[in-house]
Amino acid sequence: MTTEPLNFQTRIYPFRQYTGWMIGIGLFLLPLIPMDLTTYLTLTVAGISLGMLIFLIASGLTLIFGLMDVLNLAHAAFFAFGAYAGFTVLNLLNNAGWIDSANLAQSLFYLALALGAAGLAGGALGMLTEKIVIKRVYGNHLMQLLVTVGVSFVIVEILKIIWGVNDEVVPVPMGFQDAFIIFGVFIEYFRVVAIFLGITIFVILQYILKKTKLGIIVRAGVENQEIVKATGYNISWIFTLVFAAGAALAAIGGTMMAIFNQAVDPGMGDQFLIFALIVVIIGGLGSVTGSFVGAVIVGLSFNYVAFLLPKMALGVNFMIMAVILLIRPKGLFGKD
Amino acid sequence: MDMKDVTKLETSGKSNIKGLALAGVIFVFFIIPWIVPSFRVMDVMAKIMIFTIVVASFDLLLGYTGILSFAHGMFFGIGAYSIALILYYSKTPAWYHILCAAGVSIVISMVISLMISFFSLRVKAIFFAMLTLALAEFAHILGVQWTGLTGGEDGISFTLPGIFNFNQTLGTLFNTQVNGRLMIYYFILIIAIFLFAGMLRFIRSPLGRVLKAIRENEQRTIALGYKTFRYQTCSIVFSACIASLAGILFAMWLCYVNPDSVFHTAVMVNILLMVLIGGMGTLYGSLIGAGFFIVTENWLPGLLKSLAGLASDSIILANMASRWQLYFGILFVLVVIFFPKGVIGTIRVILDRRHQIHNL
Repeated sequence: MTTEPLNFQTRIYPFRQYTGWMIGIGLFLLPLIPMDLTTYLTLTVAGISLGMLIFLIASGLTLIFGLMDVLNLAHAAFFAFGAYAGFTVLNLLNNAGWIDSANLAQSLFYLALALGAAGLAGGALGMLTEKIVIKRVYGNHLMQLLVTVGVSFVIVEILKIIWGVNDEVVPVPMGFQDAFIIFGVFIEYFRVVAIFLGITIFVILQYILKKTKLGIIVRAGVENQEIVKATGYNISWIFTLVFAAGAALAAIGGTMMAIFNQAVDPGMGDQFLIFALIVVIIGGLGSVTGSFVGAVIVGLSFNYVAFLLPKMALGVNFMIMAVILLIRPKGLFGKD
Repeated sequence: MDMKDVTKLETSGKSNIKGLALAGVIFVFFIIPWIVPSFRVMDVMAKIMIFTIVVASFDLLLGYTGILSFAHGMFFGIGAYSIALILYYSKTPAWYHILCAAGVSIVISMVISLMISFFSLRVKAIFFAMLTLALAEFAHILGVQWTGLTGGEDGISFTLPGIFNFNQTLGTLFNTQVNGRLMIYYFILIIAIFLFAGMLRFIRSPLGRVLKAIRENEQRTIALGYKTFRYQTCSIVFSACIASLAGILFAMWLCYVNPDSVFHTAVMVNILLMVLIGGMGTLYGSLIGAGFFIVTENWLPGLLKSLAGLASDSIILANMASRWQLYFGILFVLVVIFFPKGVIGTIRVILDRRHQIHNL
């Protein structure tokens, strides 16, 4: 993970790199057999928007792992923290009476406010965590796993102290409670926003990783801090910022999920961490494209199966994960 | 006297002290219900025994094999739920139901742990951690949502058969009532000693030595011709089975299970903390870790509440006092960073250093 792999595989099997897409498309069309087209399209839109929300969570996880080689299990806690930060902003706006009367443009503006606040709060918390805890355990996977579990526990307890242990209802801006209809398919505005946000973040991450030097600097820093420092980069701050960015992504995902479910509770991180982990395992550790595809697969399959066999929804995700691990033990887009 | 005898002499001397200490501890556990006839103390002691077994079995994985599994709490829960379900659905509990539960939970744990190791061990240790974490969350969700079988969040309460039944009083002995609870207490003690001895035997077997070698240097062990995958699978399966048996003891002690008490991530974090406090890779550390944790868990909340009562009546402060888990979390992080060897590990380091100085 720390060095650029030689691309033998793609040369020998030219279609190997499309395996992920083919599996994705296969799954995408499979549920058409037992249901009619309108239901299918409705579920597909819902599934893709859920997938985008999961991608927001998984992308932060995979960004931190892919660049810094740290598996951050406190990610779920950052997610819950972000959800509460966004919830607080929306609550303040609601107390001012602006949520219920918002049209679509205003709703978008309030959402941007909530997401910005969540991103900043999550980023700040991530920065603090990295500076205090994570920087002591670089290079030791076991210690990282242990310490981030502890941090996660502490953050969730702090959430409980500040906001209480009970579920809270999140005020959703009025503009998002509408839907428009295409071909008989109800599409809520918020789902469109979620899809748009997910794709935007995917593109931005791909741009930063592929077109800028940040990726190579961070990976070089993981390999040998001293030499990267000697070439004039302040590697410890770059590490901090990457970690903060990952935490901010988790926090933004948290706020989106809070609005999506219209509720927050301190344990919500754990519930979505399971999705994020499945996505990251399916997609391959450290691959942003992988987590994008994985998130869409998980979102779609969850919705299809939840419609057909409600009890099996999560189990099917596990089965998909098992099958993919059997075919490609490193995940669809995983490299070694 | 050649080198072999010297090492033999040293180890025998060490194990004498260890054996004496262990015998003392067992004696304390044995005598406590008669000295302090308080239910709370007995409860604490029973939980210490149970969690010592869980923590020791987890240590087999983490400390001796270097594999971090988050599914250990799940195996614990599988044991607890298997006895709870069997006794709950068989309207008339009988003693062989306990054996049944042990068999069922061992089989389930074996199958699941084999599957986990098959899917994830081939790749990377970090994959194992992720897969087991996802699986553990899944088990918790299953426990909460499969209300038809598990009773959901309300959990299941059940009655134990024969002499273990709580309502049964067999008489008094030395001013102490001999009842079902006391019987379970001694049952737990016997099984715990048996399981702990089994684990000690396991790590001293040739298999255990290979596991230590894998922890120290996996590449080299492979180069020596050992199939590391098989050995690691063995230790995963073994520790999963022990954990599920401990789960049975836990359920028997409480006569009640619910998803949050066995499947929740917090249980796993507690087990991790106990392992870390005692020291990874030191089976005896599990006793210290579990003892410290259970005792603190029992008396810390009350202490904090009385402290908060002294200070003022602000809500945040009251919340901070009631969320005592926060302090365990902070302790956890501090232990990982500053005290990674744990109590027994640190003692060993100090002893080794002294030994070296002595030899110089």
